[in-house]
Amino acid sequence: MVLQNIVILEDGKPARLHFSDHLIEKRTITDPNTGRPGSRNVLVFSVDRLDGRAVDARYSTMAEKLAVQFEPYLKDKSYKNYEIIITQNGEGFQRRWSVQFIPFASR
Amino acid sequence: MARKTQQVETKLVSEYVKNQYGQFPHITKQPLGLPSPELLVTEGYEKGLRMQRPLRFEVDAIVMHPKWLILIEGKVWHIKNGVGDLIAYRSLVPFTPELKQYLNREVLLELVVPWTNPNLEIMCRDNGIRLQVYHPEWINEVANRVQLYGTRDYRTAREAKLRDRELLGLE
Repeated sequence: MVLQNIVILEDGKPARLHFSDHLIEKRTITDPNTGRPGSRNVLVFSVDRLDGRAVDARYSTMAEKLAVQFEPYLKDKSYKNYEIIITQNGEGFQRRWSVQFIPFASR
Repeated sequence: MARKTQQVETKLVSEYVKNQYGQFPHITKQPLGLPSPELLVTEGYEKGLRMQRPLRFEVDAIVMHPKWLILIEGKVWHIKNGVGDLIAYRSLVPFTPELKQYLNREVLLELVVPWTNPNLEIMCRDNGIRLQVYHPEWINEVANRVQLYGTRDYRTAREAKLRDRELLGLE
């Protein structure tokens, strides 16, 4: 078991993850531009495998652009049936995510 | 400032792909095309590719079917644009480094829309694009909201809601 609590994606480097569970958390976040706190929904996944290693970690995102790509898989937790490769690139509003879903049956 | 936009097309395509092709490997938001050779030389391959990511064209989804590479574009409002987008994207597939291993498969084009019309069907047929009408329940709510957007009552109520959200620090 690798000791790693939070998964942080590196720009341009694909990360291969397996999610075992998820929740939507409300967090108070300080806006970096205005300095004002605000409440945000955060999609948090429990990660039990990262790049082929067993881990007990969390991966979270506040970006609707990314969260909406997972939305159909949340209700029935069918993300458990896939290995998911996320590639993140860019900064701020220009940030983009490619998400690859690899079903276990096809491997 | 409270958020005002909603990712409608991404949601539509993600749902469609999961329901229709969930048993096959698939990618959402895949960049397409050749990165600039100058940048690859000056910055190196990996960094050059990374730096260009926001500037590269992006197809909504690709399905790696055993026989085909299916390019999927979803359109909710400007549905005609999907035809041109898909034709342009197909021409970029052979030049996309990330798709090199799938080039032995035939490329299929699929346009996913919540509503259609006879002219769109003619354009798709003529250009070899498979037209798929996917109309989930939630799309009606989105369409109603957009239709009402121009009315004074709706705009007043919406502005009040956004003001309250900001005052309460809610997203």
